[in-house]
Amino acid sequence: MKAKTFKGGAHIPHYKSWTEHIEIEKMAVAPYVIIPLSQHIGAPNEPLVKKGDKVKVGQKIGDSTEFISAPVHASANGVVTDVDYFPYYAGGEALSVRIESEGDEHEFHPTVQRDPESMSVEELRSAIREAGLVGMGGAAFPTHANISPKTPVDSLLLNGAECEPFLTCDHRLMLEKSEELIAGAKIMMRCIGAEKCYIGIEVNKPDAIDKLQKMLENEPGMEVVPLEVKYPQGYKSTLIKAITGRDVPRGARSADLGCVVRNVGTTIAGYEAVVYGKPLIERVVTVSGPKVGKPGNYIVKIGTPVDFILQQCDVVPEEGCKIVMGGPMTGKALTTLEPGIVKSATGILVLPPDMASAEVPYTDCVRCGKCVEYCPMHLYPNQLSIYAEAELYDLLEKWNASDCMDCGICSYVCPGHRPIADFVRKIQPELKERSRAGKTG
Amino acid sequence: MNPKLNASPAPHIKSDETVGKAMRDTMLALMPVTFVSIYFFRMYAVFFIAVCMGTAALTEIAFRKFQNRRHNLGDGSAILTGLFVALCYSATTAWWKGVLATVIAVGIAKELMGGLGWNRFNPALFGRVSMILLAPWFVNVSTEFMRWNVNFGPVDVMTHATPLAMMHQGLELPGAGSLFLAYPGGAMGEVSPLALILGGLFLLYRGHINWRIPVSIVLTVFVLALLTGHNPFLHMVTGGLMLGAFFMATDWVTSPITEKGKIVFGVAIGILIVVFRIGLAPTEGVAFSILIMNAFVPAIENATKRKPFSEPKKIAMPTQ
Repeated sequence: MKAKTFKGGAHIPHYKSWTEHIEIEKMAVAPYVIIPLSQHIGAPNEPLVKKGDKVKVGQKIGDSTEFISAPVHASANGVVTDVDYFPYYAGGEALSVRIESEGDEHEFHPTVQRDPESMSVEELRSAIREAGLVGMGGAAFPTHANISPKTPVDSLLLNGAECEPFLTCDHRLMLEKSEELIAGAKIMMRCIGAEKCYIGIEVNKPDAIDKLQKMLENEPGMEVVPLEVKYPQGYKSTLIKAITGRDVPRGARSADLGCVVRNVGTTIAGYEAVVYGKPLIERVVTVSGPKVGKPGNYIVKIGTPVDFILQQCDVVPEEGCKIVMGGPMTGKALTTLEPGIVKSATGILVLPPDMASAEVPYTDCVRCGKCVEYCPMHLYPNQLSIYAEAELYDLLEKWNASDCMDCGICSYVCPGHRPIADFVRKIQPELKERSRAGKTG
Repeated sequence: MNPKLNASPAPHIKSDETVGKAMRDTMLALMPVTFVSIYFFRMYAVFFIAVCMGTAALTEIAFRKFQNRRHNLGDGSAILTGLFVALCYSATTAWWKGVLATVIAVGIAKELMGGLGWNRFNPALFGRVSMILLAPWFVNVSTEFMRWNVNFGPVDVMTHATPLAMMHQGLELPGAGSLFLAYPGGAMGEVSPLALILGGLFLLYRGHINWRIPVSIVLTVFVLALLTGHNPFLHMVTGGLMLGAFFMATDWVTSPITEKGKIVFGVAIGILIVVFRIGLAPTEGVAFSILIMNAFVPAIENATKRKPFSEPKKIAMPTQ
C-alpha cells in the first residue's frame, strides 16, 4: 500500500494521541447559545427571528435569497434574547442570534425519513441547501453551491486527510459513522454526476482506512486512497494533485478539473440533511491540548460559547495560553472566550504558553531554505516575506504571492521566527485590489 | 477575571528549530576535526582557535555598537565564524593573521554587509583570502609583524608540508588511507577528512544542510580528476575539499536556495577547484572557488527558479 502525496509539505508532530481513540460524545447544552447569522463564505443572511421569539431546535433563524449563502438554524429550544452584534471568533463582532435555552431536551427529531434514491438531484440539492450545509473542514463554502457544477465532473474526492495536528473529529466520524459517510458520498456523487469517489485518508489513521476499505469492497467506483502523513495534505489543491495527479492551475475551480472535494464531516451531514431533513445545528469538535482535563471529540451545538466548552472539559486557561478555534496551523486564536462555535470549527485547542507560538523578535532571513523546501505551492516564502514586509507589490506579484493558500508551514519551520505567513496574509487584500484594477483599467 | 490570552496570528505552533540551534549543531559537527587538530598541534591549536573565536565575539560587539545595534552573540553565528577562520589556518600561523582575518570576516564580510542573512560572501573564507593579499603588505610595512608569534615549544608533527604542495612538487605522498584518516599537513581544518565527513553527515542528519551541494562538489572533483589522469582518491582527501564541500559551500546565506541551483553551484565549484589545483599554485583553491561562486548565487537562483504549483502547464480539461 503506497501512500500518495504531492511535492513539498512537511512532517510535523501531530499531537493526536490525546483524542484519537476517544469515542464521539454529546456535550451538554449551554444555558445560552450565540449563533452568528452568517457562517459561510458568500452573501450575508437576514435574521428571521426577533427578540422575544420562541424558537425550536432546527428552526431556521437566518437566510438569504442569494445563491451563494447558507441558512442558519436554532440549535437549542428556547427564547431569542437578542439579535445583535456579538464577539466573533475571527475577531470583531458579527450579527448573531442569542438564544437562552429552555428545558433539558434539545434533540432534533426528524419529521421525515426520505429515500435518497427516489429523490431527484434538484431535491437532493435543495435538501442540502435548506439544512444550511457549509464546508465543515474550515472553508465554510456553501455546500449546495459546491455540488452544482456547471461543467461535467468525474470524481468526488472525500477529504479525510485531517492533516492539521490535534484534530481527530474527522477520524472519529469516519470510524463511527462509516455507513452514513458512504451513503452521503453516494448522494454527493449523484448531485455532481461523478462516477468515481476517492476517500483520501492519511496513513496515520490505519483503523479508518481498514474499515472503509472493507466496506467499499463491493462498491464499484468507490475507493480509499491512503495519503502520506504530511502537512498540508488536506488542502484542496494538494489533495487533488495527490489523488488524481491533475495539476491545479491558479484561478481554476475544482469543478474545472473534473473534481469536487468534500470534507467527510460535511458528507455525513449531507446524508442526515437529505434523509432526515436535519439542519446543521451541531458538529463534532475536537477539544484537545496537553492540559485539558477531559479532552475528546464532542458533539457541540452550533453557537455554544467557548467558555462553556472549556468548563465542560475541565480547562482552566492559564495566563498567556492560546485558545484556538480550528486547527493549530490555520485556526484563529481567540481574544475572548465569549464567541460561539461556528459550523466550520473543527476544534477548540488549549495551547499552554510553552507550546504556543507567540509574537517574538525575529531575525533577518538567513536563507536556510526550509520554507522553500516545504512550501506546497512551490513559492519562495523567503523572498515573499522580505517583499511583503517592505510592501513591494510589484515584486510580490512577480513572485506569485497571490498563489499562497496560507497554510502557515513557512512560519512553522522558520528558525528565525519570521512570521512569514502573516506577512504574506497582510498584503493579500492590496494584491487583490491591484489585480482587479489591472483587469478593469 | 479572564486570564490574558495570547492571540498572535496563525500558525499557533512552532517547530523548535532556531538559528542558534543550527549554529550550535554546526559547531558540534566541527568538534571531531577540531579535536584531531588539537591532538596534533596541542597548545598551538588551542591558542589559535581561542584567539579567533574571542576576536569574533569582540568584533561583533564593536561593529554592532558602531551601528547602534545590540549584539547577537547568543545565536553563536559570530564565534562559529571565528572557529571557521581558525580552521582555515595551520596551527602555527602568527596569531595576528588570525585576528585580522577574523575582524575582516565578522566585521566587514558580515556586519557591514548588513549582518547575518545579507552577506554575499562566506565570511570566514572572505577573511582568510583577504589576508593572503594583506599579510605580505603588513610584513612590508613593518618586519616587526614577523616576530609577533607565540612559542609553545616543539610539537613533533609540525614539519609536514601540505599534501597538495607535495603533490605539486612531485614529492612522494603518504598513502590515501592515512591522508583520509588523519594527517598533520596544511590547515587545521584539513587534518582529517574522516572527521569532517562525520561532521558533515551529522549536519545532513539534522537537516541543516542539503546533500546536493557537497555531493555535486565531491563528484565533480572526482570525475574531473579521473578524466585528467590524476588519482581521484588523493584529490578527495587533500586540501580543504571536505571542509569546503560540507561546511563552507553549504553556508545557508551564501549558497543558492533553489534545488537545481545547489547542483549548478556545486558542479561549478568542483570545476574551479580542479582548475585551481591543476593550473595554479596549490593555495586556497577551494576557498577561491567557493568565493567566486558566492558572487554568482543571485544569478544562479534566478536561472533555476522553479515553477509555482499553480503555474498552468497545460490546459486542464476534465476527462470524460
